[in-house]
Amino acid sequence: MRPILLSGHERALTQIKYNREGDLLFSVSKDQIICVWFAHNGERLGTYRGHQGAIWTIDVDPTSTILASGSADNTIRLWDIKTGKCLKTWDFPTAVKRVEFNEDGTKLLGVTEKRMGHLGTIVVLDVKIDVEAEQDDEKVMTIVCEESKATVAGWSYLSKYIIAGHEDGSVSQYDGKTGDLIYNISIHELNNQLTDLQWSQDRTYFITASKDKTAKLVSAKDLEVMKTYPSDTPLNSATITPKKDFVILGGGQAAMDVTTTSARQGKFEARFYHKIFEDEIGRVRGHFGPLNTVAADPTGKSYASGGEDGYVRIHHFDKGYYDFMYEVERERQNKLSAA
Amino acid sequence: EDAERISSADVAVVEHRRRLLEEWHAWRAAMDEELAEERADLGLVADPVAELLKAKQAEIAPDGAEEQVIE
Repeated sequence: MRPILLSGHERALTQIKYNREGDLLFSVSKDQIICVWFAHNGERLGTYRGHQGAIWTIDVDPTSTILASGSADNTIRLWDIKTGKCLKTWDFPTAVKRVEFNEDGTKLLGVTEKRMGHLGTIVVLDVKIDVEAEQDDEKVMTIVCEESKATVAGWSYLSKYIIAGHEDGSVSQYDGKTGDLIYNISIHELNNQLTDLQWSQDRTYFITASKDKTAKLVSAKDLEVMKTYPSDTPLNSATITPKKDFVILGGGQAAMDVTTTSARQGKFEARFYHKIFEDEIGRVRGHFGPLNTVAADPTGKSYASGGEDGYVRIHHFDKGYYDFMYEVERERQNKLSAA
Repeated sequence: EDAERISSADVAVVEHRRRLLEEWHAWRAAMDEELAEERADLGLVADPVAELLKAKQAEIAPDGAEEQVIE
């Protein structure tokens, strides 16, 4: 699994995202620039410039036509992927920490930061996947997080629910149409914030990452915690791999939190766990700082990580990865193919 | 005796994994079915993104020509 090193950002990576076809990788960073790369060779295709602050988040619509980004400059921007043109800017009172399209790309949610005089919110915007179209100015919905601010959020299957992860370690399920809170459940240790929330391909379940050093696999329908992946470092990101039943976790202690040099050893690695058996099955090293974001290629060919060190690394899976199977998995596969 | 104890521990682990695998796939099958039903009840197409991509393709190449693939 020889990595491709993408150097183009000058500061820490904040989020990376593959498009649906898995041929493009988008990355955002504190350096205020959005980059797009060819996933197969790491060549940089272009940049999207305009944000006036650190960019925290990015998402691509399912047809790879438009790009949404959220920034510390208190805006969400929409971009034409092909030309790099900024199509729309929505202004907010505070920074935007997360954006995500729903499954058909008609709605975009944004998580806004809490600050003196402003509670954290989740806003919903109507979006047209059309670079010529006039986009609506008005928010169609605002969910105010009065208890604990949301740090991450996303759309479930059928856009039925908005699921949010909070600063206090809890997860909320809101009605996707009305914004009404249905459930709020503590799933991570109290006040260990959720740092990531990524979906399975059909959006019926998701994985969370938390500062409490664990990642959890949760059902969107009832917020049941189905699996827990314990690690030895605060986690910043977690993703579910298609094709193989694995999850990948990324994290690491921030330099300012490290008190002893020994604590630094071996923490800046992507960790692979078996999704169903919860065992750790391997680690991939390479970054010189914490992994801030990990993403799995939707087509199952590769995964990528973005680090505090300013690098993105793409790893294409080799034969050993695809062949790896537990005895009971092989047994099940044989049974199925015999049937 | 030791070998026996180890092998019975192995058997227990394998049994446990087998159960986890079955439970997971049973849940997946139930969820797949539920999702398909809900989608049909709402009058939604089975794969909304496939429809979007078809529409986009038609827009790019109305004569049905293949979109240029950059390799």
